[in-house]
Amino acid sequence: MAGAAAQALPGAAGPVRAPLFRSLVERMEDGGRWVILDLGPARPENIDLFGRFRCRLEIADLADDLDALVPPEEAGEEWMRERMEDALPPRNPEPVDVVLCWDLLNYLQPAALPALSSRLAARGLPGTLVHALVAYRDPLMPALPGGFCPADGEHLVRRNAAPDERPAPRYSPEELGKAFREFSIERAILLGNGMQEFLFRL
Amino acid sequence: MFERGRKDGGETAPNPGESRSTGAPAAKPARAAGSGSGEMAVIGRSIRIDGDLQGEEDLRIEGRVTGTVKLVNNSLTIGKEGEIHADVYAKAITVDGVMEGDLFGAEQVAIRRNARVKGNITAPRVSLEDGAHFKGSIEMDAEAVEAALGKQGATRKPAPVASSSPSTAKKEESAA
Repeated sequence: MAGAAAQALPGAAGPVRAPLFRSLVERMEDGGRWVILDLGPARPENIDLFGRFRCRLEIADLADDLDALVPPEEAGEEWMRERMEDALPPRNPEPVDVVLCWDLLNYLQPAALPALSSRLAARGLPGTLVHALVAYRDPLMPALPGGFCPADGEHLVRRNAAPDERPAPRYSPEELGKAFREFSIERAILLGNGMQEFLFRL
Repeated sequence: MFERGRKDGGETAPNPGESRSTGAPAAKPARAAGSGSGEMAVIGRSIRIDGDLQGEEDLRIEGRVTGTVKLVNNSLTIGKEGEIHADVYAKAITVDGVMEGDLFGAEQVAIRRNARVKGNITAPRVSLEDGAHFKGSIEMDAEAVEAALGKQGATRKPAPVASSSPSTAKKEESAA
């Protein structure tokens, strides 16, 4: 039903089937406790879905901090790591099990990606998963991050796509693998909306 | 300093002459109907409270409160004009204004579309309207919520909730 409504453009509003997201939800159905770090904005749909499970949902809303994460020319890796640490929620004694990174990587400067990887790794343990959606097929994407949210346990949908467009970075799996050096790519799938779905493992 | 207001929430006129800032604890509502009566106490837009706020009646805050808010058996509404920098304990909490601090709702916490919240939420039921700004964590594990609310008994802040689940490594094992 929802899958049939999948659209061809990254900015499309229709739900898209996301098999790796489905696999995450299935893992959560084991009944254990999960700590989820959502890098996107707070969405009622996320709370509705994850409220079904035993979990703590941490919401970072990093899109709000994109301007602060643009490094000045002279900035080094340490500067970037510090800004990223400030933008993320305070570390909790309980490690993060799953990170949701829907669309955000497209809007971060390439220099910010290793810093994000490093700060996420510091919040996780071996086995921590990062689920990411990255623009891949189409050269343009909405000018602002739209904030994906679950349509159900298997489909994701973009909310409030910006009318303007900008070039998409179209990171390859190799580029992302290099930037996310603390993680390995467990699986990557090209979705019906032209985005690449990634599952990274710490 | 407290006004009586309808629970269905019309805007309450400010009290320009009334302002209070104190480091002393216990700014306590004095004359207002109790929970379920259809009325609630209101802290108006011009009121500032710095300290511990406790009470036995429903309360709507349109002013600014810094410190701690405890309404163990009652509801708290942070109105559109309200600005809270405090940890809040109440039976039910609705946020429509600015909130910075941790929220402990024995029954529920509702974040409305105009709200801007930075902090952590612990409650058995949490709702959030589209458009609301929220940064922080939401404890959605019923066991952890019960433990946290039980521990602090709505009178003190709980220690961080320890994981009662298999570790990530165990999850990794089972998922492989």
